[in-house]
Amino acid sequence: MPRQVSDGDAPLSGGSGAKQPVWDLPVRAVHWLLAGLIAFSWWSVHNHHTDWHIWSGLAILTLLIFRLLWGFVGSSTARWSSFVRGPASVFAHLRGRWNGIGHTPLGALSVVAIFFALAVQVGLGLISEDEDGLYTGPLYRLVSIDTSDKARDNHELWFNLILGLIVLHVAAIIFYRFRGKKLTKPMITGRAILGPGTRPMRPANWWTALICFAIAVGITRWVIAGAPPLSTP
Amino acid sequence: MRILPFAFASVAMLVAATAGTSAVTKVSGVKAAQVMHERHEGMETVGKAFKALHREFDSSAPSVPTVRASAAQMANLAKRSSGWFPAGTGPDVGKTGAKPEIWQAPQDFTAKLSAFQKAALIFNAAVASGDMNAAKARYADLGGTCKACHDKYRTEMHH
Repeated sequence: MPRQVSDGDAPLSGGSGAKQPVWDLPVRAVHWLLAGLIAFSWWSVHNHHTDWHIWSGLAILTLLIFRLLWGFVGSSTARWSSFVRGPASVFAHLRGRWNGIGHTPLGALSVVAIFFALAVQVGLGLISEDEDGLYTGPLYRLVSIDTSDKARDNHELWFNLILGLIVLHVAAIIFYRFRGKKLTKPMITGRAILGPGTRPMRPANWWTALICFAIAVGITRWVIAGAPPLSTP
Repeated sequence: MRILPFAFASVAMLVAATAGTSAVTKVSGVKAAQVMHERHEGMETVGKAFKALHREFDSSAPSVPTVRASAAQMANLAKRSSGWFPAGTGPDVGKTGAKPEIWQAPQDFTAKLSAFQKAALIFNAAVASGDMNAAKARYADLGGTCKACHDKYRTEMHH
């Protein structure tokens, strides 16, 4: 029988009061920019602005590369090593035996799934061409016309998976809200009231973020150029 | 600009030959199904030709035979497209990406279709002239006529 313990995310009995940092600015910026760009990508491609759609996808690519790097050198709660855990942690979390900050072990699975789904989506978009042959992803020359067409069909289908993950993500936030834990505001302000004995986020250098961003922009520009020498005009 | 007289003569002949066939004549039954099938196959082939051209014009050394073949195919199909949109071949009759607006605004639609036909002939003439830079510019014009019509008169769900 699992022992009855107070949940890690249960409301606190006052006390500590002051809000502590939990999410750094890069994590929050990536989160909200992704949300906006995913919505914009959907809207633009359904309203005959395929060129805007492609630029939006390239902006998402930049964010994904940045977030990948930031996951190695960023603040404590941004690091892959701090939240990607084994099944034992997930089960412990489900039994209420988890008392940390940042992504919960279960939430981390959702983060990884969304990151992976977006990476696949961007990859498919890069080699796609539209139905009329008017617009092409910057890496379309790496594959045949048939493969480009199939990539576009799969790009369209794969979006349903992304939608499903977004629905799960929002449902989880609503679920926690009913249990008295507000997750949205900390993702905006970066701060939350922490449980007793919980260490707040250990921040990283701001210039490390700039370096990661410069690398992400550099790689994206190389992709826009057709990833030479992989595809040459 | 030696291609232009030829192009305009072709366009004049085309317009004369196809006047009165599109979007007004009414068909039904087997004939309607035939037209819709031909339209679907034809448009798909137009799309494939355009994709092949996209790859060639995006290349530093376009393959002239491929460009010529695709341009000729495009011009040929553009001529035939006059007969692809008779009344009675809309989404109420069968599966198609053609929107009902085509037959609600036949004048605008016909103008857009003939803009495509003209652009296809002018492009083919530019390719025939051998000047690939001029051909590339006419190819871009042609793409514009595809988009102008598809944005307004084609649905997304038409596979």
